[in-house]
Amino acid sequence: MFVRNKSTLNERIENMAKVTFVTESGEEIMENDGTGNLMEIARQNDVDGIIGACGGVCSCATCHVRVKPEWMERVGRPGEDEQDLLELEGRADERSRLSCQIEMTDELDGLVVEVAPL
Amino acid sequence: MSKCPYHDPFAEKRTKGPILETEFDGDPVAMILGLKDVRKAARDWKTFSSDAPFRVPIPREENLRSVRQFPIESDPPEHTEYRKIVEPAFNRPNEPEYQARMTGLIQEMISETTSCQSVEAVSEFALPLQSRALTYLLGVPESEAQTWIKWGVHVLRDGDGPTKGKEMEHYCKEAFKRSSRWEENNFFSLLNEATFRGRLLTDDEKLGFANLAFAGGRDTVINTVCLILAHFAHHPDDLERLRKEPELVNCAGEEFVRFATPLTHIGRKCPADTEVHGAKVKADQLISLCWASANFDDTVFDKPTEIRLDRKPNPHVAFGNGAHTCLGAPHARLIIRTLLTQLTELVSSITFLSGQPKIEKTVDYERVNSFESLQLRLNLK
Repeated sequence: MFVRNKSTLNERIENMAKVTFVTESGEEIMENDGTGNLMEIARQNDVDGIIGACGGVCSCATCHVRVKPEWMERVGRPGEDEQDLLELEGRADERSRLSCQIEMTDELDGLVVEVAPL
Repeated sequence: MSKCPYHDPFAEKRTKGPILETEFDGDPVAMILGLKDVRKAARDWKTFSSDAPFRVPIPREENLRSVRQFPIESDPPEHTEYRKIVEPAFNRPNEPEYQARMTGLIQEMISETTSCQSVEAVSEFALPLQSRALTYLLGVPESEAQTWIKWGVHVLRDGDGPTKGKEMEHYCKEAFKRSSRWEENNFFSLLNEATFRGRLLTDDEKLGFANLAFAGGRDTVINTVCLILAHFAHHPDDLERLRKEPELVNCAGEEFVRFATPLTHIGRKCPADTEVHGAKVKADQLISLCWASANFDDTVFDKPTEIRLDRKPNPHVAFGNGAHTCLGAPHARLIIRTLLTQLTELVSSITFLSGQPKIEKTVDYERVNSFESLQLRLNLK
Protein backbone atom coordinates (compact mmCIF):
# COMPACT_ATOMS: atom_id res chain seq x y z
CA MET A 1 0.00 0.00 0.00
CA PHE A 2 1.23 3.48 -0.84
CA VAL A 3 0.74 6.01 1.91
CA ARG A 4 0.92 9.57 0.71
CA ASN A 5 1.31 12.06 3.45
CA LYS A 6 1.92 15.68 2.64
CA SER A 7 1.61 16.84 6.23
CA THR A 8 4.68 17.16 8.39
CA LEU A 9 2.79 17.26 11.67
CA ASN A 10 2.02 13.87 13.12
CA GLU A 11 -0.66 15.28 15.39
CA ARG A 12 -2.41 16.80 12.41
CA ILE A 13 -2.29 13.51 10.53
CA GLU A 14 -3.79 11.64 13.42
CA ASN A 15 -6.70 14.02 13.43
CA MET A 16 -7.37 13.91 9.70
CA ALA A 17 -9.90 11.62 8.14
CA LYS A 18 -8.28 8.96 5.97
CA VAL A 19 -9.55 7.57 2.69
CA THR A 20 -8.18 4.76 0.55
CA PHE A 21 -8.62 4.63 -3.22
CA VAL A 22 -8.21 1.22 -4.83
CA THR A 23 -7.33 1.87 -8.46
CA GLU A 24 -8.18 -0.32 -11.42
CA SER A 25 -4.68 -1.80 -11.40
CA GLY A 26 -5.14 -2.83 -7.78
CA GLU A 27 -2.91 -0.14 -6.30
CA GLU A 28 -4.16 1.01 -2.93
CA ILE A 29 -3.58 4.67 -2.20
CA MET A 30 -4.32 6.03 1.24
CA GLU A 31 -4.75 9.76 1.53
CA ASN A 32 -4.57 11.06 5.03
CA ASP A 33 -4.58 14.80 4.58
CA GLY A 34 -7.64 15.18 2.45
CA THR A 35 -10.18 17.91 2.74
CA GLY A 36 -13.05 18.75 0.44
CA ASN A 37 -14.78 16.15 -1.67
CA LEU A 38 -13.30 12.80 -2.68
CA MET A 39 -12.78 13.84 -6.32
CA GLU A 40 -10.72 16.85 -5.25
CA ILE A 41 -8.68 14.73 -2.84
CA ALA A 42 -8.02 12.16 -5.55
CA ARG A 43 -7.01 14.78 -8.10
CA GLN A 44 -4.72 16.55 -5.67
CA ASN A 45 -2.93 13.26 -5.22
CA ASP A 46 -2.95 12.05 -8.83
CA VAL A 47 -5.06 8.98 -8.20
CA ASP A 48 -5.29 7.08 -11.50
CA GLY A 49 -8.77 6.94 -12.99
CA ILE A 50 -10.25 9.95 -11.21
CA ILE A 51 -10.39 12.84 -13.64
CA GLY A 52 -13.24 15.07 -12.47
CA ALA A 53 -13.29 16.79 -15.85
CA CYS A 54 -16.39 18.88 -15.28
CA GLY A 55 -15.20 20.21 -11.94
CA GLY A 56 -17.86 18.53 -9.84
CA VAL A 57 -21.10 19.65 -11.44
CA CYS A 58 -22.55 16.25 -12.40
CA SER A 59 -21.76 16.45 -16.07
CA CYS A 60 -18.98 14.00 -16.91
CA ALA A 61 -19.01 11.02 -14.48
CA THR A 62 -15.22 10.78 -14.75
CA CYS A 63 -14.91 10.50 -10.97
CA HIS A 64 -16.97 7.34 -10.64
CA VAL A 65 -16.14 5.17 -7.62
CA ARG A 66 -17.65 2.12 -5.97
CA VAL A 67 -18.00 2.32 -2.22
CA LYS A 68 -16.99 -0.74 -0.22
CA PRO A 69 -20.17 -2.46 1.03
CA GLU A 70 -19.37 -1.87 4.70
CA TRP A 71 -19.19 1.89 4.08
CA MET A 72 -22.32 2.31 1.99
CA GLU A 73 -24.63 3.21 4.83
CA ARG A 74 -22.36 5.91 6.21
CA VAL A 75 -21.56 7.36 2.78
CA GLY A 76 -25.21 7.39 1.80
CA ARG A 77 -27.11 7.07 -1.46
CA PRO A 78 -26.61 9.29 -4.51
CA GLY A 79 -28.71 12.42 -4.77
CA GLU A 80 -31.23 12.75 -7.59
CA ASP A 81 -28.89 14.61 -10.01
CA GLU A 82 -26.08 12.19 -9.32
CA GLN A 83 -28.35 9.17 -9.75
CA ASP A 84 -29.59 10.49 -13.11
CA LEU A 85 -26.04 10.73 -14.38
CA LEU A 86 -25.03 7.35 -12.98
CA GLU A 87 -27.95 5.73 -14.78
CA LEU A 88 -26.40 6.84 -18.06
CA GLU A 89 -23.15 5.09 -17.13
CA GLY A 90 -23.26 1.57 -18.47
CA ARG A 91 -21.05 0.27 -15.69
CA ALA A 92 -22.78 1.76 -12.66
CA ASP A 93 -24.21 -0.49 -9.97
CA GLU A 94 -25.76 -0.15 -6.51
CA ARG A 95 -22.37 0.72 -4.97
CA SER A 96 -21.65 3.48 -7.48
CA ARG A 97 -21.15 7.08 -6.47
CA LEU A 98 -19.61 10.13 -8.09
CA SER A 99 -16.71 11.01 -5.84
CA CYS A 100 -17.28 14.73 -6.43
CA GLN A 101 -20.52 14.39 -4.51
CA ILE A 102 -18.97 12.79 -1.40
CA GLU A 103 -17.71 15.34 1.10
CA MET A 104 -14.95 14.05 3.37
CA THR A 105 -15.93 14.19 7.03
CA ASP A 106 -14.68 12.74 10.29
CA GLU A 107 -17.46 10.17 10.10
CA LEU A 108 -15.85 8.79 6.95
CA ASP A 109 -12.42 8.29 8.53
CA GLY A 110 -11.04 5.01 7.11
CA LEU A 111 -13.31 4.99 4.03
CA VAL A 112 -12.34 2.67 1.17
CA VAL A 113 -13.57 3.22 -2.39
CA GLU A 114 -12.73 1.45 -5.64
CA VAL A 115 -12.01 3.60 -8.67
CA ALA A 116 -14.39 2.52 -11.45
CA PRO A 117 -12.98 1.98 -14.96
CA LEU A 118 -13.51 4.99 -17.23
CA MET B 1 -35.92 30.57 -25.35
CA SER B 2 -32.55 31.87 -26.36
CA LYS B 3 -32.51 34.71 -28.85
CA CYS B 4 -29.26 33.36 -30.23
CA PRO B 5 -29.74 32.02 -33.73
CA TYR B 6 -29.64 28.43 -32.62
CA HIS B 7 -32.08 25.71 -33.21
CA ASP B 8 -32.30 21.98 -32.93
CA PRO B 9 -32.75 20.63 -36.47
CA PHE B 10 -33.09 17.10 -35.15
CA ALA B 11 -36.06 17.65 -32.80
CA GLU B 12 -38.72 16.45 -35.21
CA LYS B 13 -36.51 13.66 -36.54
CA ARG B 14 -36.07 12.28 -33.01
CA THR B 15 -39.84 11.99 -32.64
CA LYS B 16 -39.90 9.77 -35.75
CA GLY B 17 -37.28 7.33 -34.56
CA PRO B 18 -33.84 6.81 -33.08
CA ILE B 19 -32.03 7.02 -36.44
CA LEU B 20 -31.85 9.50 -39.28
CA GLU B 21 -30.92 7.61 -42.44
CA THR B 22 -29.15 10.16 -44.58
CA GLU B 23 -26.10 10.43 -46.83
CA PHE B 24 -22.75 12.16 -46.91
CA ASP B 25 -20.26 12.10 -49.76
CA GLY B 26 -22.79 10.05 -51.71
CA ASP B 27 -22.70 7.21 -49.18
CA PRO B 28 -25.46 6.19 -46.76
CA VAL B 29 -24.92 7.20 -43.12
CA ALA B 30 -27.20 6.23 -40.23
CA MET B 31 -27.15 9.05 -37.69
CA ILE B 32 -27.87 8.01 -34.11
CA LEU B 33 -29.94 10.76 -32.51
CA GLY B 34 -30.85 10.04 -28.88
CA LEU B 35 -28.49 10.76 -26.00
CA LYS B 36 -28.58 7.31 -24.43
CA ASP B 37 -28.12 5.57 -27.78
CA VAL B 38 -25.26 7.89 -28.73
CA ARG B 39 -23.46 7.30 -25.44
CA LYS B 40 -23.86 3.55 -25.76
CA ALA B 41 -22.62 3.47 -29.35
CA ALA B 42 -19.67 5.75 -28.52
CA ARG B 43 -18.44 3.13 -26.07
CA ASP B 44 -18.96 0.17 -28.38
CA TRP B 45 -15.80 0.45 -30.46
CA LYS B 46 -15.97 -3.14 -31.65
CA THR B 47 -19.26 -2.57 -33.48
CA PHE B 48 -18.61 1.08 -34.32
CA SER B 49 -14.94 1.40 -35.14
CA SER B 50 -12.67 4.44 -35.42
CA ASP B 51 -10.12 2.44 -37.43
CA ALA B 52 -11.15 4.43 -40.48
CA PRO B 53 -8.52 6.87 -41.75
CA PHE B 54 -10.00 10.13 -43.09
CA ARG B 55 -13.55 8.95 -42.37
CA VAL B 56 -14.03 9.68 -38.67
CA PRO B 57 -14.87 13.29 -39.51
CA ILE B 58 -17.98 13.65 -41.66
CA PRO B 59 -17.66 14.68 -44.48
CA ARG B 60 -14.55 12.60 -45.13
CA GLU B 61 -11.17 14.30 -45.37
CA GLU B 62 -8.98 12.47 -47.92
CA ASN B 63 -8.71 15.65 -49.94
CA LEU B 64 -7.89 17.83 -46.94
CA ARG B 65 -4.90 16.09 -45.37
CA SER B 66 -2.29 13.52 -46.25
CA VAL B 67 -2.15 11.51 -43.02
CA ARG B 68 -4.38 9.54 -40.65
CA GLN B 69 -5.09 11.53 -37.49
CA PHE B 70 -3.87 10.12 -34.18
CA PRO B 71 -5.04 8.96 -31.76
CA ILE B 72 -8.63 9.53 -32.92
CA GLU B 73 -8.60 7.36 -36.03
CA SER B 74 -7.65 4.15 -34.26
CA ASP B 75 -9.29 1.63 -31.92
CA PRO B 76 -8.18 0.13 -28.61
CA PRO B 77 -5.74 -1.31 -27.77
CA GLU B 78 -3.63 0.75 -30.22
CA HIS B 79 -5.68 3.85 -29.47
CA THR B 80 -5.03 3.55 -25.75
CA GLU B 81 -1.29 3.40 -26.33
CA TYR B 82 -1.27 6.26 -28.84
CA ARG B 83 -3.38 8.41 -26.55
CA LYS B 84 -1.07 7.85 -23.59
CA ILE B 85 1.77 9.42 -25.57
CA VAL B 86 0.14 12.85 -25.62
CA GLU B 87 -2.15 12.67 -22.58
CA PRO B 88 0.35 14.31 -20.18
CA ALA B 89 0.66 17.31 -22.49
CA PHE B 90 -3.10 17.65 -22.78
CA ASN B 91 -3.51 17.54 -19.00
CA ARG B 92 -1.30 20.60 -18.48
CA PRO B 93 -4.35 22.85 -18.14
CA ASN B 94 -4.91 21.29 -14.71
CA GLU B 95 -1.73 22.99 -13.43
CA PRO B 96 -2.14 26.27 -11.49
CA GLU B 97 0.65 28.04 -13.44
CA TYR B 98 -1.07 27.21 -16.70
CA GLN B 99 -4.38 28.48 -15.35
CA ALA B 100 -2.77 31.74 -14.24
CA ARG B 101 -1.33 32.23 -17.73
CA MET B 102 -4.76 31.70 -19.26
CA THR B 103 -6.26 34.27 -16.90
CA GLY B 104 -3.59 36.78 -17.91
CA LEU B 105 -4.18 36.15 -21.60
CA ILE B 106 -7.93 36.58 -21.42
CA GLN B 107 -7.67 39.66 -19.21
CA GLU B 108 -5.32 41.20 -21.75
CA MET B 109 -7.55 40.33 -24.70
CA ILE B 110 -10.72 41.67 -23.10
CA SER B 111 -8.94 44.86 -22.11
CA GLU B 112 -7.66 45.37 -25.67
CA THR B 113 -11.12 44.75 -27.05
CA THR B 114 -12.89 47.17 -24.79
CA SER B 115 -10.68 50.01 -25.97
CA CYS B 116 -12.18 49.62 -29.47
CA GLN B 117 -15.54 50.86 -30.69
CA SER B 118 -16.48 47.38 -31.79
CA VAL B 119 -14.88 44.01 -32.39
CA GLU B 120 -15.51 41.31 -34.97
CA ALA B 121 -15.57 38.56 -32.39
CA VAL B 122 -14.80 35.61 -34.68
CA SER B 123 -11.61 36.86 -36.30
CA GLU B 124 -10.49 39.54 -33.84
CA PHE B 125 -11.23 37.85 -30.53
CA ALA B 126 -12.05 34.14 -30.64
CA LEU B 127 -9.50 33.13 -33.32
CA PRO B 128 -6.54 34.94 -31.71
CA LEU B 129 -7.63 33.71 -28.29
CA GLN B 130 -7.77 30.10 -29.50
CA SER B 131 -4.42 30.36 -31.27
CA ARG B 132 -2.57 32.11 -28.48
CA ALA B 133 -3.99 29.70 -25.90
CA LEU B 134 -2.92 26.76 -28.05
CA THR B 135 0.70 27.87 -27.78
CA TYR B 136 0.40 27.21 -24.03
CA LEU B 137 -0.95 23.72 -24.61
CA LEU B 138 1.71 22.85 -27.15
CA GLY B 139 4.50 24.50 -25.16
CA VAL B 140 5.75 26.67 -28.01
CA PRO B 141 6.58 30.41 -28.12
CA GLU B 142 3.46 32.59 -28.18
CA SER B 143 4.78 34.28 -31.32
CA GLU B 144 3.94 31.08 -33.26
CA ALA B 145 0.28 32.02 -32.90
CA GLN B 146 0.75 34.77 -35.48
CA THR B 147 1.26 32.11 -38.14
CA TRP B 148 -1.67 30.02 -36.95
CA ILE B 149 -4.04 33.00 -36.91
CA LYS B 150 -3.32 33.58 -40.60
CA TRP B 151 -4.70 30.11 -41.37
CA GLY B 152 -8.17 31.37 -40.48
CA VAL B 153 -11.01 29.78 -38.50
CA HIS B 154 -10.85 26.48 -40.40
CA VAL B 155 -7.42 25.07 -40.88
CA LEU B 156 -8.35 22.49 -43.50
CA ARG B 157 -11.08 24.16 -45.55
CA ASP B 158 -13.39 27.19 -45.42
CA GLY B 159 -16.91 25.85 -45.89
CA ASP B 160 -17.18 24.45 -49.39
CA GLY B 161 -14.12 26.42 -50.47
CA PRO B 162 -10.77 25.09 -51.63
CA THR B 163 -8.73 22.84 -49.40
CA LYS B 164 -5.80 24.36 -47.52
CA GLY B 165 -4.46 21.70 -45.19
CA LYS B 166 -1.08 21.56 -46.93
CA GLU B 167 0.13 24.81 -45.38
CA MET B 168 -0.50 23.51 -41.89
CA GLU B 169 1.14 20.18 -42.66
CA HIS B 170 4.20 21.98 -44.02
CA TYR B 171 4.33 24.10 -40.87
CA CYS B 172 4.16 20.99 -38.69
CA LYS B 173 6.96 19.23 -40.55
CA GLU B 174 9.15 22.28 -39.96
CA ALA B 175 8.02 22.52 -36.33
CA PHE B 176 9.28 19.01 -35.62
CA LYS B 177 12.69 20.21 -36.81
CA ARG B 178 12.59 23.52 -34.89
CA SER B 179 11.19 22.05 -31.67
CA SER B 180 14.56 21.51 -30.00
CA ARG B 181 14.86 25.32 -29.77
CA TRP B 182 11.61 25.65 -27.82
CA GLU B 183 10.88 24.92 -24.19
CA GLU B 184 11.57 21.45 -22.88
CA ASN B 185 8.91 18.82 -23.46
CA ASN B 186 6.95 20.83 -25.98
CA PHE B 187 4.36 18.93 -28.01
CA PHE B 188 6.59 18.51 -31.05
CA SER B 189 9.72 17.43 -29.17
CA LEU B 190 7.65 14.97 -27.14
CA LEU B 191 6.44 13.38 -30.35
CA ASN B 192 10.00 13.33 -31.75
CA GLU B 193 11.07 11.30 -28.73
CA ALA B 194 7.93 9.22 -28.23
CA THR B 195 7.90 5.49 -28.80
CA PHE B 196 5.07 3.17 -29.75
CA ARG B 197 5.57 -0.51 -28.98
CA GLY B 198 9.32 -0.13 -28.75
CA ARG B 199 9.94 2.03 -31.82
CA LEU B 200 9.99 5.75 -32.52
CA LEU B 201 6.87 7.21 -34.10
CA THR B 202 6.98 7.45 -37.89
CA ASP B 203 6.87 10.87 -39.56
CA ASP B 204 3.29 10.19 -40.67
CA GLU B 205 2.22 9.27 -37.14
CA LYS B 206 3.80 12.44 -35.72
CA LEU B 207 2.13 14.51 -38.41
CA GLY B 208 -1.17 12.76 -37.67
CA PHE B 209 -0.96 13.81 -34.02
CA ALA B 210 -0.10 17.38 -34.97
CA ASN B 211 -2.83 17.50 -37.60
CA LEU B 212 -5.45 16.66 -35.00
CA ALA B 213 -4.03 19.12 -32.48
CA PHE B 214 -4.50 21.97 -34.96
CA ALA B 215 -7.72 20.89 -36.65
CA GLY B 216 -9.60 19.41 -33.70
CA GLY B 217 -9.76 22.25 -31.23
CA ARG B 218 -9.97 25.19 -33.56
CA ASP B 219 -13.41 26.11 -34.89
CA THR B 220 -14.92 24.20 -31.97
CA VAL B 221 -13.40 26.57 -29.41
CA ILE B 222 -14.00 29.60 -31.63
CA ASN B 223 -17.67 28.71 -32.11
CA THR B 224 -18.23 28.23 -28.39
CA VAL B 225 -16.49 31.47 -27.43
CA CYS B 226 -18.64 33.39 -29.93
CA LEU B 227 -21.79 31.73 -28.68
CA ILE B 228 -20.99 32.80 -25.12
CA LEU B 229 -20.36 36.41 -26.13
CA ALA B 230 -23.54 36.56 -28.21
CA HIS B 231 -25.59 34.99 -25.44
CA PHE B 232 -24.48 37.56 -22.89
CA ALA B 233 -25.21 40.33 -25.39
CA HIS B 234 -28.79 39.08 -25.71
CA HIS B 235 -29.14 38.04 -22.05
CA PRO B 236 -27.49 40.64 -19.81
CA ASP B 237 -29.41 39.06 -16.93
CA ASP B 238 -27.31 35.91 -17.27
CA LEU B 239 -24.06 37.90 -17.16
CA GLU B 240 -25.37 39.63 -14.06
CA ARG B 241 -26.34 36.35 -12.46
CA LEU B 242 -22.91 34.85 -13.07
CA ARG B 243 -21.36 37.96 -11.57
CA LYS B 244 -23.42 37.49 -8.42
CA GLU B 245 -23.06 33.71 -8.33
CA PRO B 246 -19.48 32.94 -9.44
CA GLU B 247 -19.84 29.43 -8.06
CA LEU B 248 -21.94 28.72 -11.15
CA VAL B 249 -19.00 29.13 -13.53
CA ASN B 250 -18.30 25.39 -13.94
CA CYS B 251 -21.98 24.60 -14.37
CA ALA B 252 -22.46 27.43 -16.83
CA GLY B 253 -19.39 26.35 -18.77
CA GLU B 254 -20.82 22.88 -19.26
CA GLU B 255 -24.15 24.34 -20.31
CA PHE B 256 -22.59 26.61 -22.93
CA VAL B 257 -20.65 23.67 -24.31
CA ARG B 258 -23.83 21.58 -24.46
CA PHE B 259 -25.76 24.33 -26.15
CA ALA B 260 -23.00 25.13 -28.63
CA THR B 261 -22.12 21.50 -29.42
CA PRO B 262 -19.59 22.87 -31.91
CA LEU B 263 -18.89 19.48 -33.47
CA THR B 264 -22.23 18.35 -34.90
CA HIS B 265 -21.33 14.69 -35.19
CA ILE B 266 -18.57 12.18 -35.78
CA GLY B 267 -18.31 9.02 -37.83
CA ARG B 268 -17.74 5.40 -36.96
CA LYS B 269 -17.23 2.57 -39.40
CA CYS B 270 -19.06 -0.75 -39.06
CA PRO B 271 -16.52 -3.54 -39.65
CA ALA B 272 -19.38 -6.00 -40.29
CA ASP B 273 -22.99 -5.86 -41.48
CA THR B 274 -24.90 -4.39 -38.55
CA GLU B 275 -28.45 -3.43 -37.70
CA VAL B 276 -28.59 -0.13 -35.82
CA HIS B 277 -32.01 0.48 -34.27
CA GLY B 278 -33.67 -0.98 -37.34
CA ALA B 279 -31.36 0.58 -39.93
CA LYS B 280 -29.31 -1.90 -41.90
CA VAL B 281 -25.67 -0.82 -42.19
CA LYS B 282 -23.40 -2.79 -44.49
CA ALA B 283 -19.81 -3.62 -43.63
CA ASP B 284 -17.45 -0.68 -44.21
CA GLN B 285 -20.31 1.85 -44.16
CA LEU B 286 -20.51 4.66 -41.62
CA ILE B 287 -22.83 5.51 -38.82
CA SER B 288 -22.73 8.90 -37.11
CA LEU B 289 -22.84 9.76 -33.44
CA CYS B 290 -24.87 12.94 -33.56
CA TRP B 291 -23.72 14.95 -30.57
CA ALA B 292 -25.86 17.93 -31.64
CA SER B 293 -29.04 15.90 -31.54
CA ALA B 294 -28.14 14.01 -28.35
CA ASN B 295 -27.47 17.24 -26.47
CA PHE B 296 -31.00 18.47 -27.19
CA ASP B 297 -32.73 15.19 -26.37
CA ASP B 298 -35.75 16.28 -24.32
CA THR B 299 -36.11 12.85 -22.75
CA VAL B 300 -32.93 13.72 -20.83
CA PHE B 301 -32.65 17.53 -20.82
CA ASP B 302 -35.57 19.61 -19.57
CA LYS B 303 -36.30 22.39 -22.08
CA PRO B 304 -33.06 21.75 -23.97
CA THR B 305 -33.32 24.84 -26.18
CA GLU B 306 -32.94 27.04 -23.09
CA ILE B 307 -29.55 27.96 -21.71
CA ARG B 308 -29.72 27.37 -17.97
CA LEU B 309 -26.57 28.43 -16.18
CA ASP B 310 -27.34 26.09 -13.29
CA ARG B 311 -28.37 23.02 -15.30
CA LYS B 312 -27.48 19.99 -13.22
CA PRO B 313 -27.03 17.19 -14.02
CA ASN B 314 -25.82 17.98 -17.50
CA PRO B 315 -24.69 14.73 -19.10
CA HIS B 316 -23.92 16.31 -22.46
CA VAL B 317 -21.69 14.68 -25.03
CA ALA B 318 -20.25 17.81 -26.63
CA PHE B 319 -16.77 16.49 -25.83
CA GLY B 320 -17.72 13.01 -27.03
CA ASN B 321 -17.94 10.00 -24.78
CA GLY B 322 -16.00 6.83 -24.09
CA ALA B 323 -12.41 6.08 -25.11
CA HIS B 324 -12.27 8.93 -27.61
CA THR B 325 -13.51 11.67 -25.28
CA CYS B 326 -11.94 14.92 -26.46
CA LEU B 327 -8.26 15.09 -25.49
CA GLY B 328 -8.42 18.87 -25.55
CA ALA B 329 -11.37 19.09 -23.20
CA PRO B 330 -9.36 20.26 -20.15
CA HIS B 331 -7.87 23.06 -22.26
CA ALA B 332 -11.24 24.00 -23.79
CA ARG B 333 -12.93 23.96 -20.39
CA LEU B 334 -10.24 26.20 -18.97
CA ILE B 335 -10.65 28.72 -21.79
CA ILE B 336 -14.41 28.78 -21.30
CA ARG B 337 -14.36 29.00 -17.51
CA THR B 338 -11.68 31.68 -17.55
CA LEU B 339 -13.57 33.64 -20.17
CA LEU B 340 -16.76 33.48 -18.09
CA THR B 341 -14.96 34.63 -14.96
CA GLN B 342 -13.11 37.45 -16.66
CA LEU B 343 -16.21 38.70 -18.44
CA THR B 344 -17.97 39.01 -15.10
CA GLU B 345 -14.98 40.81 -13.62
CA LEU B 346 -14.13 43.17 -16.45
CA VAL B 347 -17.22 43.73 -18.56
CA SER B 348 -20.44 45.46 -17.54
CA SER B 349 -22.37 44.50 -20.66
CA ILE B 350 -21.97 43.37 -24.24
CA THR B 351 -23.72 45.12 -27.12
CA PHE B 352 -24.78 43.05 -30.11
CA LEU B 353 -24.23 45.02 -33.31
CA SER B 354 -24.64 42.43 -36.04
CA GLY B 355 -24.08 38.77 -36.74
CA GLN B 356 -24.07 36.38 -39.65
CA PRO B 357 -24.89 32.83 -38.64
CA LYS B 358 -22.78 29.94 -39.88
CA ILE B 359 -25.06 27.32 -41.38
CA GLU B 360 -24.20 23.69 -42.05
CA LYS B 361 -26.31 22.53 -44.98
CA THR B 362 -26.68 18.84 -45.69
CA VAL B 363 -29.13 16.70 -47.65
CA ASP B 364 -31.49 16.26 -44.69
CA TYR B 365 -30.90 19.12 -42.28
CA GLU B 366 -29.56 22.63 -41.84
CA ARG B 367 -27.87 23.49 -38.60
CA VAL B 368 -26.81 26.89 -37.36
CA ASN B 369 -23.38 26.41 -35.81
CA SER B 370 -22.29 29.73 -34.31
CA PHE B 371 -21.27 32.67 -36.49
CA GLU B 372 -19.44 33.45 -39.70
CA SER B 373 -19.07 36.96 -38.30
CA LEU B 374 -20.19 38.62 -35.09
CA GLN B 375 -19.87 42.32 -34.46
CA LEU B 376 -19.99 43.26 -30.77
CA ARG B 377 -19.00 45.97 -28.35
CA LEU B 378 -17.67 44.94 -24.95
CA ASN B 379 -18.44 47.67 -22.42
CA LEU B 380 -15.92 47.94 -19.59
CA LYS B 381 -17.09 47.96 -16.00
